[in-house]
Amino acid sequence: MIRKFFKWAFSPMGRIAVAIAILSLFSLAAYGLYQTQQAPEQPIQFTHKLHVGLGIQCLYCHPGALRGPSPGLPTISKCWGCHQQIAKTQTSALLKPMVEAMDKGVGFTWVPVAQVPDFVHFTHRPHVAAGLNCENCHGDMTQVTIAVNPQVMNMGWCLSCHKERAAGDKEKLTKLTDCGTCHY
Amino acid sequence: MQMTVDLNRVGAKGAIAEAAEGKWGMSIDRDLCTGCQACVAACAMENNISFVGEEDAGYGRTQHWIRIERFWEGAYPNVKIAGGYQPMMCQQCGHAPCEPVCPVFATPHSDAEQLNLQVYNRCIGTRYCANNCPYQARSFNWRDYHTMPERGNMVNGKLVFPLHNQFNPDVTVRRRGVMEKCTFCIQRIHKAQDKAKSEGREVMDGEFAPACAQACPADAITFGRIDHKDSLVSQRSNEGRGVKHLEDLNTLPRVTYLKEG
Repeated sequence: MIRKFFKWAFSPMGRIAVAIAILSLFSLAAYGLYQTQQAPEQPIQFTHKLHVGLGIQCLYCHPGALRGPSPGLPTISKCWGCHQQIAKTQTSALLKPMVEAMDKGVGFTWVPVAQVPDFVHFTHRPHVAAGLNCENCHGDMTQVTIAVNPQVMNMGWCLSCHKERAAGDKEKLTKLTDCGTCHY
Repeated sequence: MQMTVDLNRVGAKGAIAEAAEGKWGMSIDRDLCTGCQACVAACAMENNISFVGEEDAGYGRTQHWIRIERFWEGAYPNVKIAGGYQPMMCQQCGHAPCEPVCPVFATPHSDAEQLNLQVYNRCIGTRYCANNCPYQARSFNWRDYHTMPERGNMVNGKLVFPLHNQFNPDVTVRRRGVMEKCTFCIQRIHKAQDKAKSEGREVMDGEFAPACAQACPADAITFGRIDHKDSLVSQRSNEGRGVKHLEDLNTLPRVTYLKEG
């Protein structure tokens, strides 16, 4: 049986078939990888660049970053706090989902973009306290509509910065490269 | 020229390892322990521990990070409690038998906190560590207990797991095929350290406690820094009644059991 397969695989048509199979598997894997790097579908096409351009601070909508593990995503009432005073809110086609949700009193849920897996316990507070700015990790928000990750958020990326910032300080390096600092 | 030995890098036995005194430690007063199992329940809630169910419990696959050991005299039914109760959990050995046997380094020793870690995403489930643990403190996830379909409720054609609402977000929900064990509630250690750092001070003695120590109604469990001589846990451990289990194996356990006589 196996011998028969190899005989077929080495025939001209067999070679083409095997090549096609390998190529399609490879492209499927590449497509899967590409999908993981795409920004997820959001309830509203939120324009970060417009809001940042208007001078709104990151911490106004994501206040948890200063004091806790999670910065939080704003609820509809926070959006409405400003938007109810803006005339364009009622006429804009982009903002229609928000007006409708507000009228029905249902709200909407933003889809988090910068996510870490369950086994990673990331806390914003020490990173902000260490003098990092939002854009160091999340990219320049004046350039994007829906937030996208400027890089793959994996362990190598975390560790390269940890090592860089702890260089020379042995105690700090031990703490910042300890498995138990993030994984528990 | 004087040679300096980095204690954390040397995997050698004996004198070198013995010099490392550890950081976090616990003392358990067996004279006070009533065997009420409050610590077991509190630990299960804090650390998202699975309920394995009747069948798997029958195979000895219960997943408790802390368990109460009983000591008795005589044969059933004429038994008498003698020696009392003893909560047993991971002893966070300074020289742990579980660590060197892991082929993928999923159970490293934390240099920063001086604890034995279990890195769930690195663990491949060989179970060598559990076989090599003299305290039998480790438990293995034989199934995805949290998402077993028969434990969910069917609501509008979707499986809903009501108990997922009580998960502690600070602790990983372990999946099938990984080992787990007591962490000395490292999430609480980190939280206390983070809070102390944000306020510009050191972590105070007794500022926080692991779930078992917090739940203990008899205050039998004390937790704190064993490298600080004036901490409560150091004082209790050194008051003369202290015993460390299986000390002859040179595991350097961080848990001291207190017992008169």
